[in-house]
Amino acid sequence: MKKTAAILRRNLLNFTRDKVRMIGSFVMSFFFLFVFSFVMKSSVGRIAQPMNYLISGIIIMTVFQQALNNSTAILDDISNGFMKEILVAPISRREISIGQILSSSVIAVLQGLIILIAGLFMGLRLDLLHFIGTVGIMAVAGITFGSLGLFIATVSKGSSAFQVLSTILVMPLTFLSGAYIPTTILPNFLLPVVYINPLTYITSIFRFITMSMENLPVSQLVEEGIAFNIHGFILMPQMGLLIVIAIGLCFFALCVRKFNQADFSVVKTFHHHM
Amino acid sequence: MTNIIEVNHFTKRYGNFTAVDDISFSVKEGAIFSFLGPNGAGKSTTINTLCTILDKTEGEIYIGGHDVTKQKDLVRKDIGIVFQESTLDQKLTVEENLLFHCDFYGVPRKEANQRIDFVLNLVDLKDRKKDVVGSLSGGMKRRVEIARGLVHDPRVLFLDEPTAGLDPQTRANVWDYIRRLQKQKNITIFLTTHYMDEAEISSSVAIMDHGKIVASGTPAKLKSQFTGTRMEITAADPNNMAACLKKSNFQFSQADCHFDLSIKENKKAIDFLSREKNNIQDFEVTKGSLNDVFLAVTGREIRES
Repeated sequence: MKKTAAILRRNLLNFTRDKVRMIGSFVMSFFFLFVFSFVMKSSVGRIAQPMNYLISGIIIMTVFQQALNNSTAILDDISNGFMKEILVAPISRREISIGQILSSSVIAVLQGLIILIAGLFMGLRLDLLHFIGTVGIMAVAGITFGSLGLFIATVSKGSSAFQVLSTILVMPLTFLSGAYIPTTILPNFLLPVVYINPLTYITSIFRFITMSMENLPVSQLVEEGIAFNIHGFILMPQMGLLIVIAIGLCFFALCVRKFNQADFSVVKTFHHHM
Repeated sequence: MTNIIEVNHFTKRYGNFTAVDDISFSVKEGAIFSFLGPNGAGKSTTINTLCTILDKTEGEIYIGGHDVTKQKDLVRKDIGIVFQESTLDQKLTVEENLLFHCDFYGVPRKEANQRIDFVLNLVDLKDRKKDVVGSLSGGMKRRVEIARGLVHDPRVLFLDEPTAGLDPQTRANVWDYIRRLQKQKNITIFLTTHYMDEAEISSSVAIMDHGKIVASGTPAKLKSQFTGTRMEITAADPNNMAACLKKSNFQFSQADCHFDLSIKENKKAIDFLSREKNNIQDFEVTKGSLNDVFLAVTGREIRES
């Protein structure tokens, strides 16, 4: 585990040296915050605290997108050669992949926290217990989608293929998760996609905690798009969390397995003679 | 001396293509071993397998007594590798690169700091410790890679074209560092290079072609086996010289007063020179080079391959 920690520390240090990437990731989140705040103010009557509703959606989306995108760091490591330094060191592939997933997650959670802190100035209220809860949910989201990201990176082996794959995933998943646009105003034919989307559940449990909705009646949770009435079956946010954790564990196992088998020697080794 | 690298009947196939075809060789501890060959000879495949990046198809390979496929981590601890292209983290400083390397190899922090100073001293980069790697010149980066390859105290250092792409001055410096560390630490050096003059300093050489080892031994042995010594003589009396050479059974060619002959036995040549000293205005002896050896065994110049 010491070596996993070393990989984590190296990735974090490397990330902090890339100022453009750091700033770029925040600009996007603040941009969404700005644009969707107008949408929320004008169109959604049934939601009690529209700004908080939006802020919490944007925080969890930031965590999701960054966790996925941070996996491009491994593609950079492959193309600039550093990956080889790690592959020939006495570190098992398992330790390497876990280190990579943890790095993506930690960076994503830190970015989520920064938006969260900005949110506190915009009217979001959190006590310590709820704060710890939000960090926990962000960590689940980070590990789940960090694993997915590394899996895609390992399969695609090139940044252009990765970009295409992640765009295909990110766009529909974010817009059909309720993070920016409440699921309650979506047309019925899109609802099946909403229900199979893991982001829907991570968003709903995150909102449930950030907005302290523990004492609300189920009917109002359904009305706000936090609990779901699927043909009479009420899916509570806590249940949704368990679904996400299960999916996360699958992604994690799949990713570590795939990384173990991946042949990085063809990507960049002593290739100048071949 | 014991063999630190032992390769027995190693074969590597990719589908139907045999990249390395049943090769065997060994490297003695503390030696400088040069591994030469034209492009596509199977050299890269062999090195990648020795470095635990690729898995072999058949045969046995041991480094420091450990099996390179079954005991990867033990082998990895014993080897340092300097790849031809940079594998440094360009955004981190020299010191950070070396510290993380120590962490990856399990060197305790306290010891790591001492070792980092030692290896940076060896490559004259102590004052660059806090510099970001991306800001260094190509030659300096190569020296950082060499320092990094050494910092975990490996028994074998693999150097893949350590001087490729460097200017002659830097090339000479890099070689200075390599010799210095070889003397100071007595580690085994496994080297590939396109510069034949660089291979001259090695204690043994193996030349690979078409997946097989076509020649191996000390540079001196290879030269005497595959090339001859040539001598040029400028004679005062060419007719007399030609007659004497014929009488002594030398193979030669003549252009005016210049004679070009190949020498098989040194003693015979010395006797001849002293006997005919009054007729010799000038003479020059040229030993065969490793380049000639390479040409003789592969049929190609290494530069053109």
